[in-house]
Amino acid sequence: MVKTAVASKEIYLFEDGLPFEAGQSFQSECPRDKKVKAQNLFKFSRKRGDFQISVVAAGIAMFFFMFFWTKTGWDGRKLPDELGSYVAYQFGLADIDGRVTRFGRILKQSWVAPMLCLFVFVPASLWNLRNSWKEMEWRKRFLLPTSAYFELTKYVAALEYVAYFIIYTLVVPILGYLVSTIILGMFLTWRLGYRSRRWILTGFFSSLGLVIAFRTMLQIKTPLSIWLYDQLPSAARAFMLTYF
Amino acid sequence: MEAFLTGIDSLMQPAVLLAILIGSVGGLIIGAIPGIGPAIAIAILLPATVFLDDLVSLVLLLGVYGSSMYGGAIPAILINTPGTPVNALTTYDGYAMTRRGEAARALSLAYSASFFGGCFSIIIALIALFVFGPYLRDLGALFGQRDILMAAVLGGVLLIAAHRQTMGIAALLFAFGFLISMIGRQSTRQIDRYTFDIQYLYSGFNLIVVIVGIFALSQALNLMVGKDDDPPEARITGGLLSGFREIVGSKVITISSACYGTIMGIIPGVGEFVAQFFSYSTARSLSKEPARFGHGSHEGLIASETSNNAVPAAAMIPLLALGVPGEALTAMMMVVFFDAGIKPGPDIFENNPDFLFSLFTALLLINILVLATLLFSTRLIAKMVYIPNRFLGAFIMILSFVGVYSIRNSLTDCIFAIIFGFIGFVLRRLDWPLVPIVLGLVLGSIIVERLTAGAGQIKSAVDLINRPVSGTLFMVILLVIGFIIWTSFKNRRTEYQS
Repeated sequence: MVKTAVASKEIYLFEDGLPFEAGQSFQSECPRDKKVKAQNLFKFSRKRGDFQISVVAAGIAMFFFMFFWTKTGWDGRKLPDELGSYVAYQFGLADIDGRVTRFGRILKQSWVAPMLCLFVFVPASLWNLRNSWKEMEWRKRFLLPTSAYFELTKYVAALEYVAYFIIYTLVVPILGYLVSTIILGMFLTWRLGYRSRRWILTGFFSSLGLVIAFRTMLQIKTPLSIWLYDQLPSAARAFMLTYF
Repeated sequence: MEAFLTGIDSLMQPAVLLAILIGSVGGLIIGAIPGIGPAIAIAILLPATVFLDDLVSLVLLLGVYGSSMYGGAIPAILINTPGTPVNALTTYDGYAMTRRGEAARALSLAYSASFFGGCFSIIIALIALFVFGPYLRDLGALFGQRDILMAAVLGGVLLIAAHRQTMGIAALLFAFGFLISMIGRQSTRQIDRYTFDIQYLYSGFNLIVVIVGIFALSQALNLMVGKDDDPPEARITGGLLSGFREIVGSKVITISSACYGTIMGIIPGVGEFVAQFFSYSTARSLSKEPARFGHGSHEGLIASETSNNAVPAAAMIPLLALGVPGEALTAMMMVVFFDAGIKPGPDIFENNPDFLFSLFTALLLINILVLATLLFSTRLIAKMVYIPNRFLGAFIMILSFVGVYSIRNSLTDCIFAIIFGFIGFVLRRLDWPLVPIVLGLVLGSIIVERLTAGAGQIKSAVDLINRPVSGTLFMVILLVIGFIIWTSFKNRRTEYQS
């Protein structure tokens, strides 16, 4: 019995880790209160899905890089004949006889600014991809979750609202800003789970308030060729077109 | 003095005063609602400013910018949720004080520290305008196209350097924003860049469409997809004036934090977080009770709130003096300048000194108005904290539509705004910073514009840096890049050794 107790004690490196026994004072295993550091403001940890998005970012960078040669005016570039000597001349390392092309004439060309961007964009995206990959490998090594499935479900959920926004954009010219905003406001309130009468009414009045603030008071332009308003008597139609 | 009086006179117009009132009270409420924040509010308001007078628009946006951080302290202290991202540090000490039953004291400290920080940087700016104003008028002659170009490049480099742990991502997104600004038909030579024969892309992306998408619509999606918080109810008992006495007792910490806020605000690309980092660290080293920092220290609260409120006025300085915005909110204000046809830059000291006095005096008025509002209506504003996030998200989305559509009555703009919104949503979920995209867009446009305009004076590459200002700025750029490389190597070595 004593032998077993000794053996079990051996598996603990420190005294604090020994199991609680009768007669001993109780020791909490809660971690100590962490000291708050101002550095926490800059804390960043890569989330799940980071690697996949880093791949997409690198893909976008490559896409722009591939089309740089054809879509930025590079085809019609005007560069000095002996580019090597010209570059050396810019830094005072070589001398060129005769008339020298002004550096400003090169800088004015349409491909220069995209090239400057890509000079940062491509290496930064590849560097980020490398770091993200390293992080994922580290996570795999310590058996931490790496699947991006959860994030994907969130993106799909967001796409649902993107679709509502696009539908709203297409419906406004047909039903008018007032009607479509009220419908969207009430529908989104309902869709987001606020389904009591109180919340639906809150959605209704909030949408109405927005229309009154922006269309009626600030007179901000919204689509005007509205089928619904055309069905109204002319006086009502004119009023609705002016204020809603 | 004459410019100052003219500036005050233009502030006294009823429309400007109304804009100050709406901007400051609106910003206060927006700041108090977790999930909105000044960037989203300004993004939504931007299209409306097209229809308003320049000064009215700027004062409205300044009101939101200058007051939101006051409002942001309320949920940070009461429910441990920062109203705006810069109030994150306030939660450490503010919420701990609330748990001790000192919510009113914490709020009072936050208000008085914010007020001191805000007024400090404004007064410094006004004094600088009075004292150096006559000399600053000659500044325009010192700054040519190449100098502004170099200042914009420095802004970009500092922005990337300020994202300490995400420099690669910040560089990537900055370049992405820069590239977006380049899409469209080049005006001088009529060459299409990355338009792929899509007619909409010929005129390029409208800056406001991208800003509304990246900031407002992305957050709307983020809120709607997320869950509603169920914040605990906090009670505010007691007066809100005691904080003024306490900040007098901690004057060294208060003044040093205000100085950090002012200095960091002036440096483009740095902003509130770095200011808070330095002021909080300094306050802890100056304090007699450093162990209490993060556990309800009133000095910690003073340090974070003073420094973050000193930034807005200071951040206007590089925008106005160089025409280079230092962070997202001033970048958005730049859009108002673009629309109004005003080019902020060194010439402004000669051409529109009264405009500068108007802006800074308006900021001072905003601070006073906000403090008065808070002292009388904190309990009412605190109720805004409990509006459900998802419900807010829905209405941010509806608001964004009218904002985007009103710019040029284009439904295609709305579709592109939601595409940028989705991109912003994905980046938000990954905790990738959004500010570099907007600054890439704005600074990118400045870089291209100045490069084209100054090309005539550039015979060789050396001409880019052979002027006193551009040469100095180039040296600073090299130093910053050198510092970035040195710290990266140092960090890697430390990591390897540990």
